[in-house]
Amino acid sequence: MREIAALAVSIVAVTVLGSRAEVEATSLLRHLYFVPVIAAALRFGVVGGGVAAVTAVLLQTPRVFAAIERGGLTSAAAEHLVTCLALVLAGTLVGRLASYAQAQRRRTETLLAVQRALAPDTSLELALGRLRACLAARLAVDDVALVVRQDERLVVAGGTAVAAESLAAEVLATGIPRFLPDVGRGARPRRAFVAPLLVGGDSIGVLAVEREGELSAPERAALSALAAHCGLALENARLASRQRRFAEELAERIASATATKSAFVAIASHELRTPLTALLGFSELLAQRRFEPAEVRRMAETMQHETERLVRIVDDFLDLSRLERGLEPRLSRGAVKVAPALTAAVEMFRRAGSHRLVVECEETLPAIDADADALDRILKNLVANAMKYSPLGSAVHVGARATDHAVEFSVRDAGRGIPAEALPRVFEPYYRAPGVGSARGAGLGLAVVKSLIDAHGGSVHLESAPGEGTRVTFVLPAAS
Amino acid sequence: MWALEPAGTPGRSRLLANTPLALIATLGAGWLAAAGLAAAGWLTPSVMRVTALTAAHGGLLAAALAWGAADGGARLPRGCPLVMVALIGAGAIGAVLDPRATVMYLAAPAWLAVLMFRRRLDGLGLAPRVALRPLLVGVAIGALLGGHLLLSASQTLGYALRGGGTAILALWAYDVGANLISAECFFRGALFNRLQRRWSFAAAATVATGAALLRYVVDPLLPKQVEVMAGALFYLTILGAIDCWLLWWSGSLLPGLAASWLFFLAYRLLAIG
Repeated sequence: MREIAALAVSIVAVTVLGSRAEVEATSLLRHLYFVPVIAAALRFGVVGGGVAAVTAVLLQTPRVFAAIERGGLTSAAAEHLVTCLALVLAGTLVGRLASYAQAQRRRTETLLAVQRALAPDTSLELALGRLRACLAARLAVDDVALVVRQDERLVVAGGTAVAAESLAAEVLATGIPRFLPDVGRGARPRRAFVAPLLVGGDSIGVLAVEREGELSAPERAALSALAAHCGLALENARLASRQRRFAEELAERIASATATKSAFVAIASHELRTPLTALLGFSELLAQRRFEPAEVRRMAETMQHETERLVRIVDDFLDLSRLERGLEPRLSRGAVKVAPALTAAVEMFRRAGSHRLVVECEETLPAIDADADALDRILKNLVANAMKYSPLGSAVHVGARATDHAVEFSVRDAGRGIPAEALPRVFEPYYRAPGVGSARGAGLGLAVVKSLIDAHGGSVHLESAPGEGTRVTFVLPAAS
Repeated sequence: MWALEPAGTPGRSRLLANTPLALIATLGAGWLAAAGLAAAGWLTPSVMRVTALTAAHGGLLAAALAWGAADGGARLPRGCPLVMVALIGAGAIGAVLDPRATVMYLAAPAWLAVLMFRRRLDGLGLAPRVALRPLLVGVAIGALLGGHLLLSASQTLGYALRGGGTAILALWAYDVGANLISAECFFRGALFNRLQRRWSFAAAATVATGAALLRYVVDPLLPKQVEVMAGALFYLTILGAIDCWLLWWSGSLLPGLAASWLFFLAYRLLAIG
């Protein structure tokens, strides 16, 4: 108000000063009107400049027209009229430029505010809420809403949902901005404008504004540009958030993998050292001392047993190495009779005498299409696992039965079982279920088993409950 | 928010929808017939004047009422436009019979006030409640323009101030009861209001102001001297644009009416015509 009063006083002051001079005298004092007119234009834009200019002209016309009445259109009067015209032009043009500059400044500030509102560490709902609050404060509209498509749902800020037949839904589907000059029945027209949030030509959401009063074409163009900017900013924020999440997940995985590898190296060293120690010890004994033939045989059997274990461990490492390189195990497939294969695989463990091994297999089972060595390793791995995690003297059931064009094998123990949360990971390399205690193993057995079965085109399934034992079943195709 | 609601695109009626065409055609035909009969010397100029005033102001008001009621979703009392035409006609007859009877024109705004308080004219921007600030701005603008007119016309063109209380009161009553109320209700309350709901403010104000100027230019009661016509166009352009802006700003026709009343109050003080 103070500025308006100052401008009014200055216009009146110029009028009072100019009223002392005759129009015919070509007083230059009238040019002082430019000062308040341009000041009003700079401060209040085109409306202020226009009103000030018209006021200045209205205040001069009684004297100018009276002078024209008296003496006709003299050169001095004509100059005065030109001054009036120049005042109107200056007021409106400077005002328009000032309005344009102010609008540009506001737009730039709004764009910066949009960037600040979209902190990348927030959820989309929170980011949209912030963005909407920022736009509501800066756009001078009555209502503003933002809708963004995320996966299969729409996140809405400034409303609860988007109706299927609404203007926002239409713009979201077409990607074309829509303007409706009046969407209400109020005393003043309520303009509605919906612009798409574009990312690479695709509409990822919409910006909807409503205002009682004017929403001019330049404003709508600016809103469209702002919507496109918001779309890019939202997409950037989303990508940054996703990238950070991926980086965090990756760091976690790397840390986990590093820990697992370290644990694996320790376990693998231990696993290799144990049979090697046995072999070294027995070979030293045999070299340095003389034993009874029966004792020598027992030692040789133990050394053979440890050597076979060493071979299995090395084979597992080799298979795992191929698996990690994305290669399937090498197979030499042929028709393999099931019963002899089962008996042979179990026989080695039966000699240890630590568990009761029960083979449940009919001799008439069809042969399977498999690699005999691979089948042997699968069975030995599963039987070894079953024995490892079940009490001494307990029974381990190994069986096979015919199904449609396949044979289903099963290995069942009455051991401690596996916790439910560990079941999804038991086939992962290096994974060892919690609570395995001092049981030996590198966490490779089941991973190798699965890779071998997968390579055969078969399937493997594991059922277990703590305290009730574990049952592993796998299916391999029958030979044609 | 409307844009998120399932309302779809609001249906927009045609620009001239709900115009009481039969009534306007009848008024026009009566006007033409009266003009023909007057030209032939079968009717006195007074009867011709009554017919012309009734047809012009009554027609504008009838159309404005019909448009405003339809746009505001209100229902007018049965025969309301006809009543308005009759009130204007009664005022015109009274003015012809005795200048003091010109006050009969005030029945028209009184009837409008009744309708306004019954909330039937919200669509015209005539509602009982109006913000004080726009009203004060309207009064200030009317006083400013009227004062400027008095100053410049008396200084430049040498028009004297009019004497005679009854004559001025009669003209004021005509302005308040017929001239201004019909122009503001139709060109701002109805026409501009419809246009601004379709186009931008600038386009709507330009068309509505242009149409109002045309109405004054063809008005047989306006003196035809060039300087008076130029002055009328100058002031009425400013006044019309400002009245549009006042309606757009406030949503009410009353600030614009106040501005126009004050300006015409000053205009009638000049001994023009």
